Amino acid sequence: MAYLSMGEAHRRISDYLNRFYDSVSSQDGSSLRQLLSVSSDSPHLLSLADALNVFQDANRLIKQADRYSQLGEIIAPLFRCLQNYRIGHLVDAYNAFEKSANAFLLEFRNWESAWAMEPLYVIAYEIRVLAEKADRELASYGKNPEKLKGAGSFLMKVFGALAGKGPKRVGALHVTCQLFKIYFKLGTVNLCRSAIRSIETARIFDFEEFPVRDKVTYMYYTGRLEVFNENFIAADKKLTYALMHCNPRREENIRMILKYLIPVKLSIGILPKSWLLDKYNLIEYNDVVQALKRGDLRLLRHALQEHEDRFLRSSVYLVLEKLELQVYQRLIKKIYISQKQRGPSKAHQIKLDVIVKALKWLEIDMDVDEVECIMAILIYKNLVKGYFAHKSKVAALSKQDPFPKLNGKPINSKGTHKNKNVPSVLGLIIPFFFFNFFVCGGGGG
Amino acid sequence: MLNSLSLFIGQKCQIVDSTGQASASLTPGHSLLPSATGSTAVSWTMHRTDYSSSENGLIPTSTYHHNQQTEPLSREVQDGLNAPSNASTSSNLEAANGPQEYAGYSSYTSSTDAYGYGNTGYQNGYYYNYPQQTTHSYSQQGGVYEHSGASYQPLISFQNTGPASYTSTYYNAADYQTTGGYPSNEYNNQTNLWNQGSYAHYPSHQYSAYTSDSNGAQSSSTVAATPLHYQQQYKPWADYYSQTDVSCAPGTENISVASATTSGCAVPGHTGGYPFSNSQPPPPGTTSWRPEPSSSELPSSQQAGAVTGDAHNVYWKNENGTSGIQNNVNPMPSYFQMPLNPNPLPYESSQDQQKIACPQGSNLQYSTISQVPQSQVPQNYQPPLQTFPSPDTRRVSKLQVPTNPRIASNLGLNLPKTDKDSSTTNAAAKPAYIGVSMLTSNDKVPSHESADSMFKMITKASADGTLYTRDWDTEPLFPLPDMHMVNKDGKNSGVVSSLPKYKRSPSRRTKSRWEPISEEKLVEKLASVNHVSVKEFSSGICERKDDGWNNSKLPSLQQQTPSKNSQRPVKKQRLGDTVDAAENDGASSDSDKEQGLTAYYSSAVALANSPEERKRRENRSKRFEAHGHRANVKHFRQKAVGARSFYSRRASVLELSRSYEDGGSRAVEDIDWDSLTVKGTCQEIEKRYLRLTSAPDPATVRPEEVLEKALLMVQNSQKNYLYKCDQLKSIRQDLTVQRIRNELTVKVYETHARSALEAGDLAEYNQCQSQLKSLYAEGIKGCHMEFSAYNLLCVILHSNNNRDLLSSMARLSDEARKDEALKHALAVRAAVTSGNHVLFFRLYKMAPNLNTCLMDLYVEKMRFEAVRCMSRAYRPTVPVTYIAQVLGFATVLPTIEGSEEKDMDGLEECEEWLRAHGACLITDNSGEMQLDTKASSSTLYMPEPEDAVAHGDTNLAVNDFLTRTS
Repeated sequence: MAYLSMGEAHRRISDYLNRFYDSVSSQDGSSLRQLLSVSSDSPHLLSLADALNVFQDANRLIKQADRYSQLGEIIAPLFRCLQNYRIGHLVDAYNAFEKSANAFLLEFRNWESAWAMEPLYVIAYEIRVLAEKADRELASYGKNPEKLKGAGSFLMKVFGALAGKGPKRVGALHVTCQLFKIYFKLGTVNLCRSAIRSIETARIFDFEEFPVRDKVTYMYYTGRLEVFNENFIAADKKLTYALMHCNPRREENIRMILKYLIPVKLSIGILPKSWLLDKYNLIEYNDVVQALKRGDLRLLRHALQEHEDRFLRSSVYLVLEKLELQVYQRLIKKIYISQKQRGPSKAHQIKLDVIVKALKWLEIDMDVDEVECIMAILIYKNLVKGYFAHKSKVAALSKQDPFPKLNGKPINSKGTHKNKNVPSVLGLIIPFFFFNFFVCGGGGG
Repeated sequence: MLNSLSLFIGQKCQIVDSTGQASASLTPGHSLLPSATGSTAVSWTMHRTDYSSSENGLIPTSTYHHNQQTEPLSREVQDGLNAPSNASTSSNLEAANGPQEYAGYSSYTSSTDAYGYGNTGYQNGYYYNYPQQTTHSYSQQGGVYEHSGASYQPLISFQNTGPASYTSTYYNAADYQTTGGYPSNEYNNQTNLWNQGSYAHYPSHQYSAYTSDSNGAQSSSTVAATPLHYQQQYKPWADYYSQTDVSCAPGTENISVASATTSGCAVPGHTGGYPFSNSQPPPPGTTSWRPEPSSSELPSSQQAGAVTGDAHNVYWKNENGTSGIQNNVNPMPSYFQMPLNPNPLPYESSQDQQKIACPQGSNLQYSTISQVPQSQVPQNYQPPLQTFPSPDTRRVSKLQVPTNPRIASNLGLNLPKTDKDSSTTNAAAKPAYIGVSMLTSNDKVPSHESADSMFKMITKASADGTLYTRDWDTEPLFPLPDMHMVNKDGKNSGVVSSLPKYKRSPSRRTKSRWEPISEEKLVEKLASVNHVSVKEFSSGICERKDDGWNNSKLPSLQQQTPSKNSQRPVKKQRLGDTVDAAENDGASSDSDKEQGLTAYYSSAVALANSPEERKRRENRSKRFEAHGHRANVKHFRQKAVGARSFYSRRASVLELSRSYEDGGSRAVEDIDWDSLTVKGTCQEIEKRYLRLTSAPDPATVRPEEVLEKALLMVQNSQKNYLYKCDQLKSIRQDLTVQRIRNELTVKVYETHARSALEAGDLAEYNQCQSQLKSLYAEGIKGCHMEFSAYNLLCVILHSNNNRDLLSSMARLSDEARKDEALKHALAVRAAVTSGNHVLFFRLYKMAPNLNTCLMDLYVEKMRFEAVRCMSRAYRPTVPVTYIAQVLGFATVLPTIEGSEEKDMDGLEECEEWLRAHGACLITDNSGEMQLDTKASSSTLYMPEPEDAVAHGDTNLAVNDFLTRTS
């Protein structure tokens, strides 16, 4: 750092103070925003930080001028934050920033109009980013990283300040999204529920009223939550919304959405075009899609194993694993088709031995019992229509649509495949309920 | 009261004249004292008032005078805030003071921080200290007093001899404060300590209060700074006390009192005005204390910095008469001055005195005194409170002299002595001490007898030059003398007990002090920390006392002690031993015994000093460095903690935490918990689990070696799970309270987790699993893979939470994935998520370790799902034999018989199971049992578990419970 004279330092600080005051008094949100973005590394703030490190008594300057006094609570800790951030004391920087942010929030509550939304957004962003950095620093000391949690509770306060009837309520979704980011990072996604509830049920909020970018972010995160719960229909809806409204030039964002949307779509039987995977660099799904197309169980298992870490991290592993049944279905279907080509008369009777052989050919070693079990599951889950005769070890497929397509419905989705279209090959099966989660049944026959 | 005091004095004088006879004379005096308590109390109050006045006067002056205390006012106000800076300054000042003694003091001051000023310039500091301390001390004292019912007792001890009492009285955070006044140096230090941590901390701690806690708190505080002396002394005493239960008794009372006092105290402290404190303290303190005779006294003590003084005062009063309280106050200032002026000598003297008191009077006094003070104190204290308004500490002393002619004479004598010693202030202090000792002497007299034997031994040893070299452990502890001592102690205690106040003390004292067992225990437990003190007490060997510290420091201590001991020690000793004598003429040090004792004490003091210094350093380093000196700190703390460790430790923790909070950035996590950890002594291998509702008692906690045996015993036990669970829980508890986290801990948890799994006790298993998780995370070796597999299975089969499952899968390393158990677990997961029952039951049959047990819990679900699947997918029928085979019925009940029968069993069981779940079974032409799938698909249901209990825990079933307990 070049030598900085006291005068110059003084000038820079006063300049900043003036700008801060002016932007507040003129309610100029965008210029105030720039003054708050600590982590933006803007040259202006960096030089200010240098000046502050030279001119140690900035607080006096704040106090001297009456016009700053009401903002002193914000500025003084902000200066400390800038100083510490400049010299890499991130924990201290965060602590100071949190003080400043609290002071800002106090002031913000008093401002009737929503002019300061942008600065507030910046603060919500900065506090999260600084907290993450501070936590990294804490972790490097072997201490408990807890700052992000603190940032989360601050944002909850901000949310409380915004969730009202006034014009500021449009900012609520932005804060919610910042909260989501924190909760997902912390792995405490269950905390999202309260925010979601207030966003989706409170009458003061009209979802369409929120800014698009916030809506997209919100849908992305809630969609991910639905993936966790394997609630594929809802996940599909939300992620598709996010995808449709996402700025098409933000390819990185689109990729993030697709990363979750593709497994969801796969599990409801919809396969992506390969150019989509290529364009957004989602090649890890290529093999999965291929396996689904070919009924290649080996390829699926291989793909899962190869990208296990990635899938586990993005928490789609279990979703992808469940595609196995669809691959089995595809495999059986292929057998069925080939049998049909040879002789249509007995094509709907598939011997267990044939399936075992096919699997052997795929280098998957399964004995008859296991394959029988798989067949039973396929029938049970309505991926295959028909029945299994244990005595003769033969699966008898329905002559009509033996391999029903999912068509946007998840496997075994309760109530959706209630044999409406199932041929009544199997005789009378009365739908019944077990507990309240499972419906199994066959059409009356 | 004055009359009574005079009588006492007279007796004391007699005692002084002839120490041998003194005991006899003293005893009468003692008896008189109890009866005369009322009168004495009055006299005490007088003294106290004087003291308080003197203190007050001193305080202002001192504060102003102190240059070092550039911001005396601010410091006082800020106290805690300034403390750090003050501490630093104080340390510097202390350094300036130079003398070893000072250093010790300085350490004290440093600990106290703000109070530390005293360290800087004792003289200056004293004054400052007084003001600050007084204010602080008042508030603190309030806390202290409150804390200590015990503290009160300590007060008594204080009265006996500031230092000695301190050591003995652990209780005595309150003592410390009070002592702050008395020992000037030490007291200041103590007070400082108290003030620093204690202001905030003590109250809470005290409240939390273990009476012993108060002690503990003190010890903790002492640990920080002053603790060294105190600790040493405390330790031994503490040990005794702890054994005796003395601490406990005071504690209960103290606690309530403490709360009240604290409020009052705080106020006074803030006001800084003694009068205020006095006035305020009385209400709070009085409330609790008043109910008890002692309690009333306590309030007064609490009320003002005077409080400590009060306790002292009480003693003083006895000595001086009514003026005792004031005297106490005075002594405080005087001491402070003394240290400042004379530097080492005064300090030593004060220390010596304290020490002396401790050994001689302290023993007896401690137990007895504590109670006694309470009873007496109230009366005394109240008067003092009134007197306090006119605070001129030094003046007070003067006042005292006039007020109580006889006492005054004593005081006068004392003063001259102090003058002789080094500083007039010291002299003043001495009088106070003397007075105290006198008071205590009554109680102490018996102890003196015992002490005499000790003295003799010690003096002998010292004469031989074997004092430090002799192995005191092997030495019969006052072998015959010991017996005598014990008896004497008992007598003393008895005497004390005869006094209304002493109710509890006697028995305890008899037990604790000189019994070898207790000492041994102490040694074992305290080891590094306590050893010193204990040994010193028992053996008088300085070297042993402080491990590293002692060794290095002892020499200096010893050196100091000799010089000081020769003159002052004797006086002090006598004071302590025979208060009368001490009062009459500190110079009238009679026998070599006294010297020996003094040496003994001095050594203890020296030790204390060294540890204090170290503590100081540690504190400093702590402030500036996050972790650096923890080890040292630990040592100190451990040492300091002493036998009472638990309570005191807890209290100290609380204090520490408070102090840390005050410090601002210091978090609880910075507390050195190691020093506060219990060390068990129980040798029983078998122990029933009992949930702790209070601090653990080391006597019921098993050390690691024993726990190891206990674990083996449980592992080899043929008894049922309930017994094992009980035993393992108690082992876990012992491990936890001792904070043992090593491979043994892992073994215990693993053993417990396994047996819980075998018994299907998931709740207990989960507890173990979560502990194991963190233990493994700390890098402690164990069957990590095995338990990761259990964990995974648990998540899969029981929590059914995809996020948990994903995160635990993501955490698995490549190496872990190759592990047999984990591979199995992962395969089970795959089977479960895909609903592949065939695979599941195959895995079930070949499960490694106890994976089977976890899978057992999922079998029912899996079977039901499978049968539903079958009934839906199969047509027209499925043979039951196939179902039994696929769903693992054949192996559910392992039988020793042939395979055929096994199959038959499995078949029957399967059939039973199917029927129980609503399946339609038919017999086909060949006579084979078949599942009618179409019919069954609509009739299957999950039956209510037969063994379900309304309260959900079958283990709580009455029959089972009865069989378990039988």
